[in-house]
Amino acid sequence: MTVAITPEMIGQVVISGVLSGALYAMVALGLALIFGVMRVINIAHGSLLMLGAYVTYFLYSQTGMNPFLTVPIAMAALFVVGVVLQRTLVFRVVDAPELSSLLLTFGISIALVNLAQNAFTSDLRAVEYITGSWLVGGLALSKPRVIAFAFAAAVTALAFLFLKSTRLGKAIRATSQSREVAMVCGVNVARIHLLTFGLASALAAGGGALLAVIVAIQPEMGGVWTFKSFLVIVLGGAGNYPGALLGGLLLGLVEQLASLFLTTQLSEVVAYVLLVLVLLVRPAGLLGGRQT
Amino acid sequence: MRFHTLGACALALAVAVASISLPADAQGPIRIGASLSLTGTYAKLGKNQHEGYQLCIKDLNAKGGLLGRKLDLVVYDDQSMPATAVRLYEKLITEDKVDAVMGPYSSPVTEASANVTEKYKKVMVAPLAATTSIFKKTPRRQYIFMVISPAEVYLEGLVDMAARRGLKTVAVVNEDTLFSKAAAAGAVELAKKKGMQVVYTEAYPKGNTDFSALLTKVKAANPDVIAAATYFDDAVALTRQMKELNVNPKMYGVTVGGDLPEFYDTLKQNAEYIYGATQWEHTLPYPGNKEFFEAYKKDFNHEPSYHSAAGYAGCLIYAEAVKRAGSLEADRVREQLLKLEMKTMFGEYKVDQDGFQIAHKMVTFQWHGDKKVTVWPDELAQGKARFPTPAWNQR
Repeated sequence: MTVAITPEMIGQVVISGVLSGALYAMVALGLALIFGVMRVINIAHGSLLMLGAYVTYFLYSQTGMNPFLTVPIAMAALFVVGVVLQRTLVFRVVDAPELSSLLLTFGISIALVNLAQNAFTSDLRAVEYITGSWLVGGLALSKPRVIAFAFAAAVTALAFLFLKSTRLGKAIRATSQSREVAMVCGVNVARIHLLTFGLASALAAGGGALLAVIVAIQPEMGGVWTFKSFLVIVLGGAGNYPGALLGGLLLGLVEQLASLFLTTQLSEVVAYVLLVLVLLVRPAGLLGGRQT
Repeated sequence: MRFHTLGACALALAVAVASISLPADAQGPIRIGASLSLTGTYAKLGKNQHEGYQLCIKDLNAKGGLLGRKLDLVVYDDQSMPATAVRLYEKLITEDKVDAVMGPYSSPVTEASANVTEKYKKVMVAPLAATTSIFKKTPRRQYIFMVISPAEVYLEGLVDMAARRGLKTVAVVNEDTLFSKAAAAGAVELAKKKGMQVVYTEAYPKGNTDFSALLTKVKAANPDVIAAATYFDDAVALTRQMKELNVNPKMYGVTVGGDLPEFYDTLKQNAEYIYGATQWEHTLPYPGNKEFFEAYKKDFNHEPSYHSAAGYAGCLIYAEAVKRAGSLEADRVREQLLKLEMKTMFGEYKVDQDGFQIAHKMVTFQWHGDKKVTVWPDELAQGKARFPTPAWNQR
């Protein structure tokens, strides 16, 4: 009960892999930023993504706004949430052992999910804005996924530009390389931490806003994204920002090709086996750890 | 003096009358216990079942109760957790000493609780357990009775209609969980029995959101029918991606989730032509169904789901068996439940020697606009199936 794999089918799933890979990269970049700058593993990353998805859902369902135009709003809203979380809670664990930050962000994640369940209920929501696909030479390009890909690519590119070329971006990278030296050079490290957590939350929210157009929204949707982002940054090299990009695309492709050649069930297994292999051969990730 | 005698006589009469009705009063109401999922994962559905029980007890009491006694419902919240339900049934039976128990919500919780009710030889009508293995056990469970149709027949209507229209090939995909696996296995078996060729099967993990690779393979297998054993979000994602990848079967059906109003709200016109299966609809011409629907809406301010209806019917079925047995004694009630053939507002009830449901019919509907129209079985059909399903780009 299997079917013969044709080159056309491979082309089709490679497209799907690249399309979802860009989303993985965008969301994982947020996680990589926080880890790189503060050495905090943010378990609540997926929950922030979930909140971003709800921002889009409510704007779309209440005001009829084009869901793709809600992406910057969701990002701005969650930037603020991220800054508040950093200012009130996360700053307390920046210098603490890593287990403390794990516990804290795990707690934040549980709190956010349960708050969402109370405020929004567990009912599944969806933004049915655009469906169908463009047919290009026998290959189907899903309209919502292609547009989401374009947005994710653009946001990720802007984030890199920001990190590379602006003073604040350079300060973030400097802090990530060595907090002490950055501080000596006049960087306000506490402010950089606020900015980093806000930026990372915004990236997660952007991912959530784009996902809202693709999948059903519910308070527990974020969990799997925390894991996937984690997988991506370990593959690419924890704290290495271009590594997140590579890791995201790699995960998207591996998942899709494994689903095609094996089964959908085995695709997750393959993704984690790949992780183990990378850790065995290149423990610091494909592009190495924490340099910018 | 004469006056006094009359008075004494009246007093004596009053005492006599009172003592005749005394036995019933002295026993008090019949207490029926249940553990239900009022919070946790299954909260929404468990609450509906609870309301079904409540309305049934209210209606029975309005008709004079059971065996001349009023009925009382004792309910605890198991938080959707099987282990908690086990503890609560122990408590209901040994501490609260209830006269009877009714089943909890869901297959996993029923499976766990049944061990307790069997241990204490308590009859349990379990109206919301659809997993065959709960009832088909060796050694046989003696006191548990099924009300809804088993998972294996959810896709029966789809496959039957396809075979009768001369369709030859079917692809079966399912979420890899207990219920969906059983529904998919049932569909595969039935399709083979009807002479159809199963050209593709694949299971996908719970929570899967990207079906591109799976659907690319399904498309290559080019089946006439796609039968998907789903819950809600995977049914939505599959449908969306079928459109994106231009997968065009002549018939496409899902199991759970496809019957929720949210399914149409989410997919809008893309839900059209999709087949789904349900245990019960308020529009079905079963005796008392309309009255149940109206009374339920009035009492609880929302429409009943099939969970509400199954709860109500399960309670009616138990009450009928007690009435026929003339007693609450477990073995006598059990005997009646095994013999009973009954038609409630939920449809038929009849079980085999394992207490396994064999008469209740699933109905298959198709989305016509934002309405679900029952299209199978023929005797309950409200309309004709729109066949074949047109290609996505020809709608």
